[in-house]
Amino acid sequence: MVQLNNGITLFFSLLVEALPFLLLGVLFSSVLLLFVDEQKLLSIVPRNAVLAALVGSLIGFMFPVCECGNIPVARRLLMKGAPTAVAIGYLLAAPTVNPIVFWATWIAFRDQPEIVFLRILFSLIVAVTIAVIFSAQEDMRPFLQDSLARIMGEPEKPAPQRKRADSGTAVPDVSPLLQSGSFLIQSPGQVLQLSAPPAKTLAILSEAPKPLGSRLQLMVDNIVLELRELGAVLVLGSAIAAFVQVAIPREVVLGLGQGPITSIVAMMGLAWVVSICSTVDSFFALSFASTFTSGALLGFLVFGPMIDLKNISLLLTVFKGRAILYLFALAAQLTFLLCLVMNLYIL
Amino acid sequence: MTSISSPRRSRRRRLPWQAIIDCLILLLWGLVLTRLAVTGKLFLLLHPDYMWLSNMAAVMLLGLGLVRATQIWQSLASPQSITGFRSEEHIALMPRQISSGLLLAIAIFGLIYSPRPFTSETAFQRGITDVLGQTRSRPERFVLSGAPEERTIIDWIRTLNVYPEPDAYNSQPVKVSGFVVHMPDWPDNHFMIARFVLTCCAADAYPVGLPVALPEGEPMPQPDTWLEVVGTMQTGTLSNKRQLVIGEPTLTTIPEPRNPYEY
Repeated sequence: MVQLNNGITLFFSLLVEALPFLLLGVLFSSVLLLFVDEQKLLSIVPRNAVLAALVGSLIGFMFPVCECGNIPVARRLLMKGAPTAVAIGYLLAAPTVNPIVFWATWIAFRDQPEIVFLRILFSLIVAVTIAVIFSAQEDMRPFLQDSLARIMGEPEKPAPQRKRADSGTAVPDVSPLLQSGSFLIQSPGQVLQLSAPPAKTLAILSEAPKPLGSRLQLMVDNIVLELRELGAVLVLGSAIAAFVQVAIPREVVLGLGQGPITSIVAMMGLAWVVSICSTVDSFFALSFASTFTSGALLGFLVFGPMIDLKNISLLLTVFKGRAILYLFALAAQLTFLLCLVMNLYIL
Repeated sequence: MTSISSPRRSRRRRLPWQAIIDCLILLLWGLVLTRLAVTGKLFLLLHPDYMWLSNMAAVMLLGLGLVRATQIWQSLASPQSITGFRSEEHIALMPRQISSGLLLAIAIFGLIYSPRPFTSETAFQRGITDVLGQTRSRPERFVLSGAPEERTIIDWIRTLNVYPEPDAYNSQPVKVSGFVVHMPDWPDNHFMIARFVLTCCAADAYPVGLPVALPEGEPMPQPDTWLEVVGTMQTGTLSNKRQLVIGEPTLTTIPEPRNPYEY
């Protein structure tokens, strides 16, 4: 009975802590949907995978959200046709590489500034590496949930000769009349392929700027929609995280040891289980500062925001299980390697 | 007002159910957060530094709910003017009905359920045994409050962390409050007076405590009773470790504080 009570208290605690950040993420995502011209945003994204990954990782400075808020934004980026490298880079780095988290980490670890800067550096290295690996896959759709993949449609061929008109829409290289399929002729020089995926159709149709009133109405609709979908998932994730915390004594995790290797594994495991938001996790990590190695603390601070128990269920709204497994394995191994190097050679 | 009178009228009578449920969800979640804040139960869940976030979320949720309600009202009043709610599509894993139902159910549960503070059982689970003399907390600033009897449990633990020799504190007066934990491997007349320390939310609460030695023959307080302990510091040996023990204690039962954590 006590356990049940603790579990429910933990569950609400996680919810109350994460809900404001999810709300902020959904707000940012809806603002991105309606008030940012995605074509312009995407046209300044470099084609090179490494640069694109780096850009994606740094978007967090514009949209500072934690790991519950970054998923709606990343999904929006994917739907808007952002290169995979940008979306993945954003997904993994944005919870850490943003001004709010930097500030919070700085407050917590003022006397160990190396932790603050290495946290950012390691997150960037891991995020860019994984983003580059994923961008080797030209068509992301097998990795994505079906509903999202349907909206996205075919990946655009990376044709360097493709031109972009000033209006921002892609001008087909071949006359549309030479392609097969059914078309509707829109304004001069523009056709709408009937079999085109919804996102593309919408991109062409939503050309004319809508009046502010209806944009706001759309924004509210989108906020409500995403809040309902992701909120339910967050509820499930928090329930699982609370259950695991009650079921596995924290001693088991902490008892894993003080060695340079086991301590990193223990802290990464703890980050995965505890699932607290990246904006506040540095304060939590601070309470372990005297018992754990610096590498282990970094493992906690770098790995936790990328993938944890709570946000796996949120990630499942974008990716299929297999892709999350790859993300998880890659992020865990890279973080572990970097922290091990830190433990063995630097400090 | 019968729905079969004309097709147009029947369309007017069709309620936008999903929008109404969404509106309910938003308002109820806003109310859950407001209730936690008003009743002070938020103290059991969050560090006070982060409460403004939860309060802001409550305001935003209530605001969104009200906007939604206005839109529904407008659409009912003049069905022609509004083109319908576009939030009926869905993108996520779970069917819309399930996610709506889940959010609604948890919100109603949250309106009924009162979170309760952690007890000694949780303290064991989170490892109360290793905290004496070595707290995991590294204080941002360390100010030794003037009189020893003004120190809280966490102040004592931090003080011990800086200078662990128990003899240095011998016969200093002590006055702390917390809940009772019976340690299994301690002698029968010893118990721990403990508190949970919070860094961000209840998910990271960890226990700290000081041993209390009762005179022989005095009855032990029940576990989880909230006590104020007034006594003097002594050096004792517990679990083969020399450590600070509160001796000659006077125990006063106190009601559970509104905010049971220390920070």
